[in-house]
Amino acid sequence: MYLSFTGSKINANLSLWIITALVLSVFTYRLLFFSNDSFLFSVIQDILVISFILVLTLFFIKKIRLRNPNPSTLVLNSGIIVAFVFLVIIFAEKFLNILFYNVNLKFNNPGVFENLVYTIYALMILGITCYWFATFRELHFYKEYRKKNRYFLTMVVFITLSSISNLLFRGKDYEYIYNTFFIISVILIALNSVKISWIAFISKKEKISLLVLSIIISTLFILNLINSSEEQFSGKFLTNFSPSFYQFFMLILLYGAIYFTVLFFTTLFHIPTAEAYDRKAKEVSSLQYFSKLITQVLDFEELAETITDIATKVSSADAAWIVINDGDNKKILANKNIAYVDADLINKYLLESGVCDKITGTKICNLDKFAEKSKLSEKFGSIAISPLKSFTEIKGYLIAARKNELIFYEEDKTAINTFSDYASVAIENSLLLEQSIEKERLEKEFDVARDIQRKIVPLKDPEFENLSVSSVFIPAFEVGGDYYDFFEISKTKLGFIIADVAGKGISAAFIMAEVKGIFSSLSRMLESPKEILIKANEILQETLNKKNFVSALYGIIDFDKEIIRFARAGHCPALLVRDNAVEAFKPSGIGLGLTNNSLFKIHLEEIKIDLKESDTLVFYTDGITEAQNKELQDFGDKRFTEILIKNANESVSQIASEVIKDVTLFSRNHFQYDDITLVILKWHKKNNIDGVKEWQNSTPQLKTRVL
Amino acid sequence: MAEFNTSIKDQGAVSVINLKGYLDAHTAPILENNFVDLIDKNRYQIVVDFKELAYISSAGLGVFMAYIEKIRESNGDIKLSGMNDKVYNIFDLLGFPLLYEIFKSETEAVKKFTEIK
Repeated sequence: MYLSFTGSKINANLSLWIITALVLSVFTYRLLFFSNDSFLFSVIQDILVISFILVLTLFFIKKIRLRNPNPSTLVLNSGIIVAFVFLVIIFAEKFLNILFYNVNLKFNNPGVFENLVYTIYALMILGITCYWFATFRELHFYKEYRKKNRYFLTMVVFITLSSISNLLFRGKDYEYIYNTFFIISVILIALNSVKISWIAFISKKEKISLLVLSIIISTLFILNLINSSEEQFSGKFLTNFSPSFYQFFMLILLYGAIYFTVLFFTTLFHIPTAEAYDRKAKEVSSLQYFSKLITQVLDFEELAETITDIATKVSSADAAWIVINDGDNKKILANKNIAYVDADLINKYLLESGVCDKITGTKICNLDKFAEKSKLSEKFGSIAISPLKSFTEIKGYLIAARKNELIFYEEDKTAINTFSDYASVAIENSLLLEQSIEKERLEKEFDVARDIQRKIVPLKDPEFENLSVSSVFIPAFEVGGDYYDFFEISKTKLGFIIADVAGKGISAAFIMAEVKGIFSSLSRMLESPKEILIKANEILQETLNKKNFVSALYGIIDFDKEIIRFARAGHCPALLVRDNAVEAFKPSGIGLGLTNNSLFKIHLEEIKIDLKESDTLVFYTDGITEAQNKELQDFGDKRFTEILIKNANESVSQIASEVIKDVTLFSRNHFQYDDITLVILKWHKKNNIDGVKEWQNSTPQLKTRVL
Repeated sequence: MAEFNTSIKDQGAVSVINLKGYLDAHTAPILENNFVDLIDKNRYQIVVDFKELAYISSAGLGVFMAYIEKIRESNGDIKLSGMNDKVYNIFDLLGFPLLYEIFKSETEAVKKFTEIK
């Protein structure tokens, strides 16, 4: 009750009123009922004095808390006061003797004026004692959990008991009770003086001044203690005023003496490390650390490590980690001094239970209400969480944690917040850089793939007397695997291939190059489409990865015999436009690289067509029929057939451009997903001059269209 | 890109993989993992049902080739079922009907496995 901070409920005015009332009642009581012999008088007076001590101490505690001073100020204040008290105690007797002639005699029977002066003097000492006690309490709890005060509370109880017993039992039959309380109080005072954790947080300069101050103050406390002993004037005087208060006063002096002696030694032991601490503190405040971040944006992982490393130093935290929002998941990065599981548990509490999401700056949370706190392998108690912001969103969080009884304070917040702002910028830059490098890499890859493809497909269409040829090739952005080629086998024979490699990008481009090599050599060795495809399957079956395959259609046009022979290995059908109708030829055949050669051979069919005047042969890849519009409908066979029939009497280049125009128009609002290849051949009977003319009028610029 | 997912159910010794959505280069690894899992469990009698598959790209087709050899060596097979016309057409062009048994319905495909026994 005493320390549970009931003071906060009483407003400042009320406490002042109570204090004034108590002061007046002490005065009145002493003036009206003064009696040297009455035990009842002493008891009632002590009750008044004790309640006064209680109220005044609470009042000082609140005052000190409101000013939120640093420990050095508190130490200095108590130092000034202890020096003052020292002088007062030394000169009080002489001064009062001058004033009242012989003070000692008048103790027991003071007149009204003397009584008034004695009371003022005693109450002044009482006020000072209360202030000391409030100061010691503040120093004791500085940078500590306020809840962990069991020792302190016990000490307060025993100090009170010891004080009261001085009145009740001292010098009587039950003196051992007084002695017991007194000894326990002294032990508890000593115990409570041992832990001085705030010393670590002050700079070397402050430590040195603290060292000097603490030795002076502790000496003064000891001297005051000696000067106030029962044989001395002060001792007699205060015992006469109130035995309880005298005991309290002596115990507080003892507390001061012990505390400042301990403080002296603690500071002394901290001096050697003070320099290192100072240097770190300076580094933190300088931009040295932050500039380190800027040089590390090239490697995101390394940057994250550095950030958590610096975060622990900046905030004197025991552990730190980064949480990055990765879609719906939260990814833990660079966890420093904390197990991954612990960080994960704390994240869940902070971010998913709604404790710390939607924050705009550093927030300090404690884990008191964290239900799964016991699951943590280490005792983390206080958390500082800072959002890592980019221009538009929160990318993640930087979290620092302190263990055990150390908690984060408001002054830690500024440092962490400033640092997390720098960290946000560094992370944002690093991610942007990573993205642009990745994008550039992909674009380079596509460039290489397109370059390979462009070199693989023919630069221009071949020209013949009896055959007009037009080809269109439109690579998709993410290069597909289309390939086509013409091989002049002899003066009377033209071989051609149209193929589609499964897959995309640079790997498809490499397979394409292999396919080109295979067919350009095979076309010189073998004169049967079927045999060429069988041989190609044999080679590709060995070289291709199991998941890869190539669909191909290989044909040979014999100008002398006026025939075309072709075989299809899993490729789109060949279309023949004749007499205003389209006939699709889909001879049996399995894609290249899909199966072993015996099975492939059995199922491969070769077709022979006798060519008639104006026969138009159309070869294509699925990039045409599977071109999609915004509603994800396919261009399809039907549209394709219709446009071919409609333009059947046009030149090859005209037909090709009409088809491409139609496909482009159809899929104008949709991404071109696959390469588009179209090869159109038109047969002209021997000595037919139109064919030659037609070729010369074609529009070659169509071939180089790149999206 | 569009969604793709699979579900596997066991019917006796036969495992049926149901495909749903768009099977292309980006989603193919999902199906690949299904095959790997089944092979790990020594379940080599597999029916892949295409009833709910909207689209398959060439990379999607490649997945079937990657494991068929191993499965057949272990006296198992992959049988395909429930393809719509468009999907069947893609398989057909490449000659898959010559390499795989394709059935109208999942039940027929499962039945085929049991008949052999």
